[in-house]
Amino acid sequence: MSRPDKAPKSPSSQSAVGHFDADTVRRGALACVPLLPSTLIFGAVLGVLASQRGLSLGELLFMSLTVFAGSAQFVSVDLWREAVPSATIIVATAVINMRYILIGASLRPVFRGRPLWVKICGMHMVADENWAVTMTQPNLANPGFLLGGGLFLGVVWATGNTVGYLLGGGIPDPEVYALDFAFTAVFAALTIGMWKGKVDLLPWGAAAIGSIIGHYLLPGTWSILAGAGAGVVTAALTWRDDMDDTGPEAEFAVDGKTAYGAPEGALTSEAGK
Amino acid sequence: MNTFPDLTSFSAEAVLTILGMAAITYGMRLGGLMMADRLPQHGRWAHVLERLPGAVLISVWVPSALSAGPIGVLGAAATVITMALARNLFAAMAVGMVVVGVGRHLAAS
Repeated sequence: MSRPDKAPKSPSSQSAVGHFDADTVRRGALACVPLLPSTLIFGAVLGVLASQRGLSLGELLFMSLTVFAGSAQFVSVDLWREAVPSATIIVATAVINMRYILIGASLRPVFRGRPLWVKICGMHMVADENWAVTMTQPNLANPGFLLGGGLFLGVVWATGNTVGYLLGGGIPDPEVYALDFAFTAVFAALTIGMWKGKVDLLPWGAAAIGSIIGHYLLPGTWSILAGAGAGVVTAALTWRDDMDDTGPEAEFAVDGKTAYGAPEGALTSEAGK
Repeated sequence: MNTFPDLTSFSAEAVLTILGMAAITYGMRLGGLMMADRLPQHGRWAHVLERLPGAVLISVWVPSALSAGPIGVLGAAATVITMALARNLFAAMAVGMVVVGVGRHLAAS
């Protein structure tokens, strides 16, 4: 199947796929379908909370589409009062979302060789979920895949918000069907898809230990930064000259050619082209 | 509180707070990418960047598995093992969620 590439002329051979090619956007959206039930339910739980805290539905949807970060929104809406404690809420958001600096940094291969406007447009709809799914793709240089997942999750998230807000309660408890565990499970499974060999062992071990220590000793989401920090330091310390035998294109290349990271393998669907 | 459901009122206070949250979150997303773009493509920093997604992802789910208690740890282990063996995201998620769902059901009864 061939479709005319409507995107501007590619600056390099790596950008052979259009910046936000419609087919890639669609595949990215489909890859996030497993997250639909839990995203919808948690969106609805946030909608209920927002109606109790005095946000209007419009304000909540505005937040969901401009901030687009679940855990920070839960904390912020929970802090919300008639007289909005703006400074507290913004500081809490900054602390909880600090991991996005690292997530943004790790997206370098996805945006490699793309012009600035693609980065500016592509970096907004980045949640943990579509980021993790994107990072396990065999061909990473696909900002459209990331955007597709983000748009899909954004629509589901906002739909959940609206349903919860209008119902104002009566949402099934996510814990009953272990839907709260869906995010943990998908992240744990996708970690296996990111494995690139023994070089990952020590940094990942350090990240696990750092986040466990952080979980018991630090408040809130600081454990994420503790774990990631431990992983980064260990990765920097374990680097040796002879590891650097791969070109930039090989960065993030996956052994073999099986796309097991996301339900719809990129290669299988591209094989039909 | 206003009349329920309050669909369309936008207070200046709320909009400014939300814009502040959005600006700082987007700034960190784009800022992280821009910083990484300035790092070398080879050597120590490239190696660190390659390890970064796994390290962040692990640090996201390991504490949440712990928060879910022993059954959460068991569910996470079941998910990881299923994924390593079957290489199927749906199957791995399903196994983890069934373990946690059934475990909670048994614990409650």
